[in-house]
Amino acid sequence: MSAALLGIGIYGLSVKRNAIRILFAVELIVNAANLNFVAFARYMNPSEVTGQVIVFYSIAAAAMEAAVGLALILVAFRLNSTIDVRKLNKLKG
Amino acid sequence: MDLSIPPDITFVVLTTITLLAAIMALQSKELIYGAISLAVSFIGIAGFFVSLDAPYLAMLQIAVYVGAVVVLILFTIMLVRRDEPDKDEMGESSEGAAGLWIAGLLAVSIAGIAALAGPSLPTTPATGNLPISQLGPVLAETYPVPLIILALLLSGALLGALVLAKVDR
Repeated sequence: MSAALLGIGIYGLSVKRNAIRILFAVELIVNAANLNFVAFARYMNPSEVTGQVIVFYSIAAAAMEAAVGLALILVAFRLNSTIDVRKLNKLKG
Repeated sequence: MDLSIPPDITFVVLTTITLLAAIMALQSKELIYGAISLAVSFIGIAGFFVSLDAPYLAMLQIAVYVGAVVVLILFTIMLVRRDEPDKDEMGESSEGAAGLWIAGLLAVSIAGIAALAGPSLPTTPATGNLPISQLGPVLAETYPVPLIILALLLSGALLGALVLAKVDR
Protein backbone atom coordinates (compact mmCIF):
# COMPACT_ATOMS: atom_id res chain seq x y z
CA MET A 1 0.00 0.00 0.00
CA SER A 2 2.70 2.47 0.92
CA ALA A 3 4.75 1.13 -1.98
CA ALA A 4 1.92 2.18 -4.28
CA LEU A 5 1.77 5.62 -2.69
CA LEU A 6 5.51 5.92 -3.02
CA GLY A 7 5.31 5.01 -6.70
CA ILE A 8 2.61 7.58 -7.35
CA GLY A 9 4.58 10.20 -5.48
CA ILE A 10 7.80 9.59 -7.38
CA TYR A 11 5.98 9.61 -10.69
CA GLY A 12 4.39 12.96 -9.83
CA LEU A 13 7.69 14.34 -8.66
CA SER A 14 9.48 13.56 -11.89
CA VAL A 15 6.75 14.43 -14.35
CA LYS A 16 4.77 17.42 -13.25
CA ARG A 17 5.95 20.88 -14.14
CA ASN A 18 3.70 22.86 -11.83
CA ALA A 19 5.71 23.52 -8.71
CA ILE A 20 2.69 23.10 -6.44
CA ARG A 21 1.96 19.66 -7.88
CA ILE A 22 5.51 18.71 -7.14
CA LEU A 23 4.86 19.68 -3.53
CA PHE A 24 1.82 17.41 -3.57
CA ALA A 25 4.02 14.56 -4.71
CA VAL A 26 6.55 15.17 -1.95
CA GLU A 27 3.82 15.12 0.68
CA LEU A 28 2.49 11.86 -0.72
CA ILE A 29 5.92 10.27 -0.47
CA VAL A 30 6.28 11.37 3.14
CA ASN A 31 2.87 9.99 3.96
CA ALA A 32 3.79 6.68 2.39
CA ALA A 33 6.84 6.47 4.65
CA ASN A 34 4.74 7.38 7.69
CA LEU A 35 2.27 4.64 6.88
CA ASN A 36 5.13 2.18 6.70
CA PHE A 37 6.42 3.24 10.09
CA VAL A 38 3.06 2.89 11.77
CA ALA A 39 2.36 -0.46 10.14
CA PHE A 40 5.69 -1.88 11.20
CA ALA A 41 5.30 -0.53 14.72
CA ARG A 42 1.94 -2.20 14.95
CA TYR A 43 2.89 -5.54 13.51
CA MET A 44 6.27 -6.02 15.06
CA ASN A 45 5.93 -5.04 18.67
CA PRO A 46 2.70 -3.35 19.60
CA SER A 47 3.71 -2.49 23.13
CA GLU A 48 6.58 -0.43 21.84
CA VAL A 49 5.62 3.02 20.84
CA THR A 50 8.80 4.11 19.09
CA GLY A 51 7.41 3.81 15.58
CA GLN A 52 4.63 6.20 16.42
CA VAL A 53 7.02 8.68 17.98
CA ILE A 54 8.95 8.64 14.74
CA VAL A 55 5.79 9.36 12.80
CA PHE A 56 4.92 12.15 15.22
CA TYR A 57 8.14 13.91 14.36
CA SER A 58 7.81 13.04 10.72
CA ILE A 59 4.39 14.69 10.48
CA ALA A 60 5.66 17.82 12.18
CA ALA A 61 8.81 18.00 10.05
CA ALA A 62 6.90 17.43 6.83
CA ALA A 63 4.41 20.13 7.69
CA MET A 64 7.24 22.59 8.33
CA GLU A 65 8.90 21.64 5.10
CA ALA A 66 5.67 22.17 3.21
CA ALA A 67 5.31 25.63 4.73
CA VAL A 68 8.81 26.68 3.77
CA GLY A 69 8.39 25.14 0.33
CA LEU A 70 5.22 27.10 -0.26
CA ALA A 71 6.93 30.30 0.82
CA LEU A 72 9.66 29.54 -1.70
CA ILE A 73 7.09 29.00 -4.43
CA LEU A 74 5.59 32.38 -3.57
CA VAL A 75 8.93 34.09 -3.88
CA ALA A 76 9.76 32.30 -7.13
CA PHE A 77 6.42 33.35 -8.57
CA ARG A 78 6.96 36.95 -7.60
CA LEU A 79 10.32 37.04 -9.28
CA ASN A 80 9.49 35.06 -12.39
CA SER A 81 5.73 35.26 -12.87
CA THR A 82 5.64 31.55 -13.47
CA ILE A 83 5.74 28.35 -11.46
CA ASP A 84 6.58 26.13 -14.37
CA VAL A 85 9.71 24.47 -13.14
CA ARG A 86 11.08 24.12 -16.64
CA LYS A 87 11.21 27.86 -16.91
CA LEU A 88 12.69 28.38 -13.45
CA ASN A 89 16.25 27.69 -14.53
CA LYS A 90 18.13 30.88 -13.75
CA LEU A 91 20.67 28.95 -11.72
CA LYS A 92 21.50 26.77 -14.69
CA GLY A 93 24.72 26.99 -16.63
CA MET B 1 3.00 -16.23 -3.77
CA ASP B 2 0.72 -16.42 -0.83
CA LEU B 3 0.32 -13.00 0.63
CA SER B 4 -1.34 -14.49 3.68
CA ILE B 5 -2.88 -11.27 4.84
CA PRO B 6 -6.53 -11.59 4.01
CA PRO B 7 -7.71 -8.20 2.84
CA ASP B 8 -10.73 -7.16 4.78
CA ILE B 9 -13.22 -4.66 3.57
CA THR B 10 -11.82 -1.74 5.57
CA PHE B 11 -8.41 -2.12 4.06
CA VAL B 12 -9.73 -2.41 0.53
CA VAL B 13 -11.97 0.63 0.84
CA LEU B 14 -9.27 2.73 2.45
CA THR B 15 -6.74 1.69 -0.15
CA THR B 16 -9.01 2.56 -3.03
CA ILE B 17 -9.90 5.95 -1.61
CA THR B 18 -6.35 6.91 -0.75
CA LEU B 19 -4.75 5.79 -3.99
CA LEU B 20 -7.46 7.26 -6.18
CA ALA B 21 -7.25 10.56 -4.33
CA ALA B 22 -3.47 10.54 -4.66
CA ILE B 23 -3.65 10.05 -8.41
CA MET B 24 -6.33 12.71 -8.68
CA ALA B 25 -4.19 15.10 -6.67
CA LEU B 26 -1.55 14.96 -9.35
CA GLN B 27 -3.62 14.55 -12.47
CA SER B 28 -6.66 16.74 -11.98
CA LYS B 29 -7.10 19.55 -14.45
CA GLU B 30 -7.70 22.20 -11.87
CA LEU B 31 -5.13 22.83 -9.18
CA ILE B 32 -7.74 23.37 -6.49
CA TYR B 33 -9.35 20.00 -7.18
CA GLY B 34 -5.93 18.51 -6.79
CA ALA B 35 -5.50 20.15 -3.42
CA ILE B 36 -8.86 18.81 -2.23
CA SER B 37 -7.96 15.35 -3.48
CA LEU B 38 -4.75 15.58 -1.52
CA ALA B 39 -6.80 16.34 1.60
CA VAL B 40 -8.97 13.28 0.89
CA SER B 41 -5.85 11.18 0.52
CA PHE B 42 -4.58 12.44 3.87
CA ILE B 43 -7.86 11.53 5.49
CA GLY B 44 -7.51 8.07 3.99
CA ILE B 45 -4.09 7.73 5.57
CA ALA B 46 -5.58 8.82 8.89
CA GLY B 47 -8.09 6.00 8.48
CA PHE B 48 -5.18 3.63 8.03
CA PHE B 49 -3.65 4.92 11.23
CA VAL B 50 -6.87 4.24 13.09
CA SER B 51 -7.01 0.70 11.75
CA LEU B 52 -3.40 0.26 12.87
CA ASP B 53 -4.19 1.20 16.48
CA ALA B 54 -2.77 4.68 16.31
CA PRO B 55 -5.74 6.96 16.96
CA TYR B 56 -3.61 9.74 18.35
CA LEU B 57 -1.54 9.81 15.20
CA ALA B 58 -4.69 9.78 13.11
CA MET B 59 -6.00 12.86 14.88
CA LEU B 60 -2.60 14.51 14.60
CA GLN B 61 -2.49 13.72 10.90
CA ILE B 62 -5.87 15.26 10.30
CA ALA B 63 -5.16 18.29 12.43
CA VAL B 64 -1.76 19.00 10.92
CA TYR B 65 -2.05 17.84 7.35
CA VAL B 66 -5.64 18.44 6.45
CA GLY B 67 -6.00 21.39 8.76
CA ALA B 68 -2.82 23.26 8.12
CA VAL B 69 -0.95 22.05 5.09
CA VAL B 70 -3.91 21.91 2.75
CA VAL B 71 -5.04 25.32 3.93
CA LEU B 72 -1.55 26.64 3.22
CA ILE B 73 -1.67 25.11 -0.23
CA LEU B 74 -5.02 26.70 -0.92
CA PHE B 75 -3.73 30.09 0.14
CA THR B 76 -0.69 29.73 -2.03
CA ILE B 77 -2.82 28.74 -5.00
CA MET B 78 -4.87 31.83 -4.41
CA LEU B 79 -1.78 34.01 -4.35
CA VAL B 80 -0.10 32.44 -7.35
CA ARG B 81 -2.67 33.39 -9.89
CA ARG B 82 -2.16 33.89 -13.53
CA ASP B 83 -4.57 35.87 -15.63
CA GLU B 84 -6.71 33.01 -16.78
CA PRO B 85 -8.50 30.75 -14.34
CA ASP B 86 -6.17 28.40 -12.60
CA LYS B 87 -6.06 25.43 -14.90
CA ASP B 88 -3.01 23.28 -15.01
CA GLU B 89 -2.07 24.03 -18.59
CA MET B 90 1.53 23.20 -18.03
CA GLY B 91 0.71 19.56 -18.09
CA GLU B 92 3.65 17.29 -17.96
CA SER B 93 7.20 17.32 -19.11
CA SER B 94 8.21 15.10 -21.97
CA GLU B 95 10.16 12.79 -19.73
CA GLY B 96 6.85 11.47 -18.45
CA ALA B 97 7.35 7.96 -19.72
CA ALA B 98 10.67 7.57 -17.94
CA GLY B 99 9.15 8.82 -14.71
CA LEU B 100 6.33 6.34 -14.99
CA TRP B 101 8.72 3.46 -15.57
CA ILE B 102 10.94 4.41 -12.65
CA ALA B 103 8.04 4.85 -10.28
CA GLY B 104 6.42 1.63 -11.41
CA LEU B 105 9.61 -0.37 -11.07
CA LEU B 106 10.31 1.07 -7.65
CA ALA B 107 6.83 0.36 -6.38
CA VAL B 108 6.84 -3.17 -7.76
CA SER B 109 10.24 -3.95 -6.30
CA ILE B 110 9.29 -2.67 -2.87
CA ALA B 111 6.05 -4.59 -2.92
CA GLY B 112 7.93 -7.65 -4.11
CA ILE B 113 10.39 -7.44 -1.26
CA ALA B 114 7.53 -7.07 1.17
CA ALA B 115 5.74 -10.05 -0.29
CA LEU B 116 8.84 -12.21 -0.25
CA ALA B 117 9.60 -11.33 3.33
CA GLY B 118 5.93 -11.67 4.09
CA PRO B 119 5.81 -15.22 5.41
CA SER B 120 8.39 -14.41 8.05
CA LEU B 121 6.57 -11.30 9.20
CA PRO B 122 3.74 -11.61 11.65
CA THR B 123 0.58 -11.87 9.63
CA THR B 124 -1.93 -11.14 12.31
CA PRO B 125 -1.05 -8.20 14.49
CA ALA B 126 0.71 -9.37 17.59
CA THR B 127 -1.42 -9.14 20.65
CA GLY B 128 -0.52 -6.51 23.11
CA ASN B 129 -1.75 -3.15 24.01
CA LEU B 130 -0.45 0.02 22.54
CA PRO B 131 -1.32 2.35 25.35
CA ILE B 132 -1.85 5.79 23.95
CA SER B 133 -1.53 7.33 27.36
CA GLN B 134 2.08 6.25 27.35
CA LEU B 135 2.84 8.26 24.27
CA GLY B 136 3.22 11.51 26.17
CA PRO B 137 5.66 10.27 28.81
CA VAL B 138 7.66 8.39 26.22
CA LEU B 139 8.00 11.50 24.14
CA ALA B 140 9.06 13.62 27.05
CA GLU B 141 11.24 11.21 28.98
CA THR B 142 12.88 8.91 26.51
CA TYR B 143 13.30 11.37 23.69
CA PRO B 144 13.57 14.83 25.13
CA VAL B 145 16.32 16.00 22.80
CA PRO B 146 14.40 15.48 19.56
CA LEU B 147 11.45 17.26 21.13
CA ILE B 148 13.50 20.36 21.82
CA ILE B 149 15.13 20.21 18.42
CA LEU B 150 11.71 19.93 16.86
CA ALA B 151 10.55 23.03 18.70
CA LEU B 152 13.58 24.96 17.49
CA LEU B 153 13.03 23.73 13.96
CA LEU B 154 9.43 24.82 14.10
CA SER B 155 10.32 28.33 15.13
CA GLY B 156 13.05 28.51 12.55
CA ALA B 157 10.83 27.27 9.75
CA LEU B 158 8.09 29.66 10.74
CA LEU B 159 10.43 32.62 10.79
CA GLY B 160 11.94 31.57 7.49
CA ALA B 161 8.59 31.25 5.80
CA LEU B 162 7.54 34.62 7.15
CA VAL B 163 10.67 36.32 5.93
CA LEU B 164 10.38 34.71 2.53
CA ALA B 165 6.77 35.60 2.02
CA LYS B 166 6.98 39.12 3.31
CA VAL B 167 5.83 41.76 0.90
CA ASP B 168 8.10 44.75 0.74
CA ARG B 169 6.15 47.92 0.29
